[in-house]
Amino acid sequence: MSAPRTYELVYIIAPDATDEQVEAVHQQVESTVQRLGGTLEKTDNWGRRKLAYEINHHKEGIYVLEVISGSGELMKELDRRLKVMDEVIRHLIVRIDEEQRVVERTRARRQETQARRRVARGLPPEPQEGEPRRDGDEEGAESAEAEA
Amino acid sequence: MANGRGRSGGRGRGPSRPERGGRRSLFRRRKVCKFCADKIDDINYKDVKLLSGFVPERAKVLPRRISGTCATHQRKLRRAIMRARILALLPYLAD
Repeated sequence: MSAPRTYELVYIIAPDATDEQVEAVHQQVESTVQRLGGTLEKTDNWGRRKLAYEINHHKEGIYVLEVISGSGELMKELDRRLKVMDEVIRHLIVRIDEEQRVVERTRARRQETQARRRVARGLPPEPQEGEPRRDGDEEGAESAEAEA
Repeated sequence: MANGRGRSGGRGRGPSRPERGGRRSLFRRRKVCKFCADKIDDINYKDVKLLSGFVPERAKVLPRRISGTCATHQRKLRRAIMRARILALLPYLAD
């Protein structure tokens, strides 16, 4: 089977919900995840936040973030359940593993080129503390424009 | 990085180019893609502080010609703003 995917789920609970209700929603999410063979990697309660616009006449909401790894079917089921829950006024599921991989790759590639260029200039591969920032490519663009 | 710069430099081509070019270099600061310059790889929808700099009063997405963001990052920025809007972290419209 394919490798598990990582998803981020953020849901907003109505501001008049009690702590127990918030906990109950979380429990439901957790049990659904476990039942369908996923793992709950992280939970983060952002607490009460002002909404940028009114949702169902609410001006505030309680935000909860969950990082889940599991299958697409699991997320589909979660999505369906969250839609039904009355306390949850809004939710968003985003797949993040692919993007994370891209970010890591660009970061690694940049570090690599930086190290290579520094070595070519006869410097140690890692930037030192308090070293002035160089904008080597600035001049190149300048002259290109002057020619045009 | 050089890409975004080159594009902003290539704008406004016309018959009076040499003169305008000179004026530009005097008065207008060269626009640089913020994400390239600051090496922000991950434009995340949860980072409201970062995103709100790209949605002026009216809550529209700030166009590239003004912000100087490169195409790649403008695309990612747009995605992030749209996600943030779903979660009411950013408004769809404001007046």
